[in-house]
Amino acid sequence: MLLTGERTFDPAPFDAISYDLCARRSDVVILSADLSKYCQVVRVKNELPEQHLDVGMAEQNLLSVAAGVAKGGYIPIATCFACYITRRAYDQMMICMGTGSGPGTNRTHGPTNIAVGFTPGIANPARIHHQAAEDLGMVRAIPNAAVIDPMDSTDFRAALDAAVERPGLTYIRGHRGNTPRLLDPAQFTFELGKTYRLREGSGIGIIATGHASQWALEASDLLQDRGVDHSLLHVPTIKPVNEIEIADFSFAHHRVVTIENHQIVTGLGSLVAEIVSDVGGGPRITRMGLPNRWAPGGTLPYIRAQLGLDAQTLAMRIEGLAR
Amino acid sequence: MNRKRSRSGVSILELEIVAAKIRRNVLEICRGQGGYAAQGVALADIAATLYFDEMRPDGKGWFFDRFILSNGHDAIMTYGALAESGHYEMEDLKTINADGSWVDQSPIEGQPGFEITAGSLGQGPSQAAGLAWALRRQGSNARVHCLFSDGELQEGNVWEGAMFAGHQRLSNLCYIVDNNDMQASGHTRKIMSVEPVDEKFEAFGFKTRRIQGTSVADLLDAFEDARATTDKPFAMICDTKPWDGIDCLQKAQPLAHFTAKDAVKWDEGIAEIDAEIERLEAERTQ
Ligand SMILES: Cc1ncc(C[n+]2csc(CCOP(=O)(O)OP(=O)(O)O)c2C)c(N)n1
Ligand SMILES: [Mg+2]
Repeated sequence: MLLTGERTFDPAPFDAISYDLCARRSDVVILSADLSKYCQVVRVKNELPEQHLDVGMAEQNLLSVAAGVAKGGYIPIATCFACYITRRAYDQMMICMGTGSGPGTNRTHGPTNIAVGFTPGIANPARIHHQAAEDLGMVRAIPNAAVIDPMDSTDFRAALDAAVERPGLTYIRGHRGNTPRLLDPAQFTFELGKTYRLREGSGIGIIATGHASQWALEASDLLQDRGVDHSLLHVPTIKPVNEIEIADFSFAHHRVVTIENHQIVTGLGSLVAEIVSDVGGGPRITRMGLPNRWAPGGTLPYIRAQLGLDAQTLAMRIEGLAR
Repeated sequence: MNRKRSRSGVSILELEIVAAKIRRNVLEICRGQGGYAAQGVALADIAATLYFDEMRPDGKGWFFDRFILSNGHDAIMTYGALAESGHYEMEDLKTINADGSWVDQSPIEGQPGFEITAGSLGQGPSQAAGLAWALRRQGSNARVHCLFSDGELQEGNVWEGAMFAGHQRLSNLCYIVDNNDMQASGHTRKIMSVEPVDEKFEAFGFKTRRIQGTSVADLLDAFEDARATTDKPFAMICDTKPWDGIDCLQKAQPLAHFTAKDAVKWDEGIAEIDAEIERLEAERTQ
């Protein structure tokens, strides 16, 4: 499922993904809140201007206008930084975009509403205000929502393709700038709720999502070199989560490690712990990711090193658990 | 009195009768468990004009034009009107607020008559603007109406939506502001004044008209003006009085935001409305 050979990078994944999607589907509208350039919405804005709508630096407006556009028969994809699209406009995401479809609402198939949050977690250099370390937890708390944290540009593209086919609210964490191509498009098929075994082994089971699946792969390479037996499961869909696949994976290992670009409270680690404890008697789970403390700012490699999330330290921490 | 023609050809007198019947429905719906009766009766003329004249039928038993209720608790107005049009049954509506009833006091998106979930206030104007933008892009000539309140004008999201509507020159959009100088804990002017409401919307690129909101003739005029405005959105600021026409409701002022079951003599109010309906119907047969 993984590409082999020299790693290549996609310099602007969403520019191509959004352009291809809009070119294919004239009913898609990409919305921006003065951050089109910073979310890499360039070609759609310039070449398909009818399918681009800027609401100004007003994130509550971004999501509420988007919800109105959805009620007018289009598929809105609201784009912004993850911190603002969730924190500043959480109520609009939940109420305007998230209450029109699914069990407990008035319709089984309501309008499609998509929000994409860029530079999530420590993918943003500006500490505290620009770093969304809680967005996954926030959005997975919304009934009927789908939450996807893709690991590379292939996964990201597939997540968006799935989202436009799905009624209700879908939140996707975006990738911006040099994004590695890791999954092999010829072998990887995205399905909402599916988990992916990137490395098969035994002993320690690593579960990761989003950017952190990249970090986990890097650590896995080092662990392989050192002969530390382990498996790696990539979980792009945080909600609706595949409890059975996560439980099966967890119980097949004697120790579980979760890695996420999100605080370890309310995110993937919490989610895995919830699933395993619901079954009961499972392996011990060690959650790695951002602590429930303000993370530092700076470049991604710097912040990762500060938080013990660089490949070397991650491998060392996991190896320590294996012993 | 009948100098002004309505859009559909219905007479002013007929709309006034409908409005009186909506007021009656409002009191009948609220008397069981209490409710937003003061708003319902004050908005009855707007409801009569909107649902029985301004919004065109779609030929399939519903409306071609769109209505976005932003102020969730003003659902009582829509309920009163859609009971009169036969879309809702009074028997069902009387269960509002009761445990287990499907009739929500502030409904969820997708219930007939309610395009958005509106209990979290201040989110209608931008959803209506987004809808108007989408309809214009499709080449539809459907109009979008959005009702919201003076209390909601204190929410930033309202002005974000208005800024968008003004910038996009959404001339298919008509905001109706229930400027009743009342919010949850008292008079809006005392808590946080939102005036001058008309000038604010004008500054945001709207054509505005300020009316009492309780005269069918004025409302017909204002809706006509809104339709004739082809280069910008329209805002109708209605200085309604929450007790309009019903003395028993006035006594609860300024805390008439929610009328408790035991706060007013419902029979008195209904008798007042019945007398009004009788008077108007007598005028019709003359
Ligand atoms: C976002 C939000 N904040 C607070 C409330 C609680 N609340 C309900 S009604 C209301 C006052 C609203 O004022 P207005 O709509 O003008 O009230 P009315 O004229 O109907 O009395 C408040 C604060 C709410 N429903 N939504
Ligand atoms: Mg008010």
